[in-house]
Amino acid sequence: MKKRPVATIIAISVGVIVLLGTFIPIPLFATVRLELVQWAMILAGVAVLVGIGNLFSVHFQKIRRREKGSVYSVTLLVAMLATLFVGVMVGPSHAWMQGAVEAIIIPVEASLMALLAVTLVYASIRLLRRRAGLMSVIFLGTAALILLASVSLPLIGEIPFLSDWIRPWLMFGPAAGGARGLLLGVALGALLTGLRALFAFDRPYGGK
Amino acid sequence: MPTELIYGAISFLLTLMVLSYLIGDNALFRFAIHVFVGVSAGYVAAVAIYQVIWPYLLIPLVTASMLERALLVVPLVFSALILMKISPRLSWLGGPAVGYLVGAGAAVAIGGAALGTILPQVNAAAEPFDVIGLIQRGGNPWQSVFNGVVMLVGTISTLAYFHFGASRKTDGSVKRNGLIEALAWLGKLFVALTLGVLFAGVYAAALSAFVERIQSLLSLFGF
Repeated sequence: MKKRPVATIIAISVGVIVLLGTFIPIPLFATVRLELVQWAMILAGVAVLVGIGNLFSVHFQKIRRREKGSVYSVTLLVAMLATLFVGVMVGPSHAWMQGAVEAIIIPVEASLMALLAVTLVYASIRLLRRRAGLMSVIFLGTAALILLASVSLPLIGEIPFLSDWIRPWLMFGPAAGGARGLLLGVALGALLTGLRALFAFDRPYGGK
Repeated sequence: MPTELIYGAISFLLTLMVLSYLIGDNALFRFAIHVFVGVSAGYVAAVAIYQVIWPYLLIPLVTASMLERALLVVPLVFSALILMKISPRLSWLGGPAVGYLVGAGAAVAIGGAALGTILPQVNAAAEPFDVIGLIQRGGNPWQSVFNGVVMLVGTISTLAYFHFGASRKTDGSVKRNGLIEALAWLGKLFVALTLGVLFAGVYAAALSAFVERIQSLLSLFGF
């Protein structure tokens, strides 16, 4: 692998300047940070186009090689190019584009979410059959308890004690503590990953 | 034909195609997913062009002051370099632009993690122990301290569960410290309980989406 000194120098210097602007309350640093972050935003926008170009390239190659399932690639490319053409011509806030969102994007997203309801039940049953340990029982028992305490049953309505005492205590006591631990763990992980990238221990931009 | 009816018909067909996955993976489901990915990609590209590249790069390059235009040469050059990533032969030219993104992204992530999560969460963990403030506000200090202790134990033990540092014993085996081991076991209980609560929330949202989709299917026939 080739060395990439320019990319490394740029990554470290930009990272350090943005960090200085975040933590040191000097107007000059803050202004420079804002400009650098705005440039990063522009680059991220262009990177999105590169990603979509790559998606186009992958599916175009599939069609060219007449691979199995290339008819779906044709569908994807036609849908993508048509939406992109109309989007560039009229803008994403035009009624036609909003129509595409309402008729295609939102219904498919909601339907995939609906499928999740079934797959989650299936996954829960599989979990109990394959790994019926203490943790699985606590996990599914808590989920069932919270769901039961959240619904209003016919005739009796909300279940007394369970709905007004156990559920709030579980959610804002032990579960809040566990969630805070998970959040702190994720934040510490993000901090460490960021520092590793900043000190060039990890180089996602290439080089050794 | 009114546009609402056309949108409703497309939405109806796509919903049926996606829900057909319940009887197994099939061509209709795959067709709907590929249409979805294509339209989403086209829409995201249009948004990136219209809401980022056009107003923040291209328009200022023509209309802004000389100094601002000179400054914008930097993102313009980096944008050109990052576009080289599309070609496998010229992809190495995009390294500096990706380096810029990684550096800025890492710094923003560090700032966000420290100022947006770690400090506020540590403050929130200490809040239930502010007995004087709680009495002044007319709250119950015992209940608050009890909840605070439960949450603190949950937080510490959950963090201990993800602590994998261990020392090598004389017999060559690798084991965690006894206290960490005990805390990690307790943390496992808290993690299971927390994920159970989160699972219930996700399941309730998924179930709501399922009911909404079924209602939308029925509504097209006037039910």
